[in-house]
Amino acid sequence: MKGLIKKDLLNLASYKTSLFIVIIFCSIAIAWTTSVTFAPIVISTIIGMIVLSTFNYDEISKSDKYILSLPVTRKDVVLSKYILAVVSTVIGAVLGVILTIIIVQIMNMVRSSELINLNYESLLSTAFGGMFGIALIQSIQIPSIYKWGAEKGRIQMFVLIFLLILLILGASFLFTKIGFNIDMSSIESFLNKFGILLFVGLIIIMYSISYKISYKIFSHKDY
Amino acid sequence: MENAIELKEVSKEYPDFKLDKISFNIPKGSIVGLIGENGAGKTTTMKSILNIVNIKGTIQVLGKDHQQYEKEIKQELGVVLDDSFLSEYLTAKGINSIMKDFYSNWDEKLYFDYLKEFKLPSNKLIKEFSRGMKMKLKIITAISHNPKILLLDEPTSGLDPIVRNEILDIFRKYILDDEERSILISSHITSDLEHIADYIVFIHNGKIIFNLPTSDLLENYGIIKCDKKDFEQLKEKDYISYKKGKYQYEVLVNNKVEIKKKYKFEVIDKPSIDEIMLFYVKGEK
Repeated sequence: MKGLIKKDLLNLASYKTSLFIVIIFCSIAIAWTTSVTFAPIVISTIIGMIVLSTFNYDEISKSDKYILSLPVTRKDVVLSKYILAVVSTVIGAVLGVILTIIIVQIMNMVRSSELINLNYESLLSTAFGGMFGIALIQSIQIPSIYKWGAEKGRIQMFVLIFLLILLILGASFLFTKIGFNIDMSSIESFLNKFGILLFVGLIIIMYSISYKISYKIFSHKDY
Repeated sequence: MENAIELKEVSKEYPDFKLDKISFNIPKGSIVGLIGENGAGKTTTMKSILNIVNIKGTIQVLGKDHQQYEKEIKQELGVVLDDSFLSEYLTAKGINSIMKDFYSNWDEKLYFDYLKEFKLPSNKLIKEFSRGMKMKLKIITAISHNPKILLLDEPTSGLDPIVRNEILDIFRKYILDDEERSILISSHITSDLEHIADYIVFIHNGKIIFNLPTSDLLENYGIIKCDKKDFEQLKEKDYISYKKGKYQYEVLVNNKVEIKKKYKFEVIDKPSIDEIMLFYVKGEK
């Protein structure tokens, strides 16, 4: 298991610079827009997506066959991908939260005339919301990569994001059209109370179902 | 003699190909060459042993079921696959760091000694290696945990004769270091196998055509070149197959000394394994 994770991490080493650029970009964006909800979503999404590219490395080098000839079980192979996915999403969100706190502190120190109000609760909700989003994408993406391969899986990812946006836009359009008034304040108060718990629960359920589907596909796969 | 690997009635069906109830053994301490044209079933046989494909039949590796004891068995296997390895965006040094987590008896010193011996850079990305360098790295990676069995799928294909010879030398040395070690090597370059294999298993269209000691093939098999009259004297049970040319018949026999005595043929040529293969596949009877 350790070897499998190390293999993926070494493959991802080339993303070090890109990640550094993302962090710089986010820092500037926080300072510029004074938005405290930005970094956790962006960083966890980017790291979460980068992790999925380990499938591309395996596919380009046709590594799957070789990996299965090593002392590992198919369960280990699938599980290692999910451990990496979950850990990277969490690290992304934590990194985003820490970065936001640091940048806001610095900004408040150097620009005491316009203090940014850092609401830790909403920062946390955003972080969990970001994690939920990327967990949803990964949970759909990983089984489809096991089923159809990384190349086709990538196309599906864009289709998926497009469909999600379309769905949200369509729903809001429909609600306005039929004159349905969403009580945003009650949703907000519900999310403020139970949001984090809800997100954590959904994230665990999504990853668990996704893992089971991936393992089922992979355990029957012939090379 | 104890066997390192035993295959019994192994079958695997694809839409366009079938590995059909193949059975053979790899005796401990021996090198078995698996020959056959491209698509004959060599790689499928290798993948079956590695449990990469689901099969019917049984396979025992070091006396244990290959599925039930998969992880344990694979600790004792060194594998080289023709078309699959770790990512080319890794370095040889990175491979060491990964492999030591996979194999409990990974010998780091041995690995780096081999890298030095074969002049392979440890910090360069594998994608910048030549084909020969890549193959040497695959082989070094396969043998650096001192496995009991090596499974080599086309390790010499596409390489020049000098590199091929260097690679065959690695295998010779590997087997000489410990008499318990065994190798299953598949290749369509049969001349390579003539020099190192103790047994040759010939597979054609998913079926085993013959499984014989290399010495038997090279010493007892012969090709008679004769005219129609002489050919008609030959009893059918005395030859394996024949090829009819414009002016002469070529006949493959598997006991050339006896045939020579019985039919008074003056010359019986020594065939190569390639020629024997062709007689079995294209010859008539």
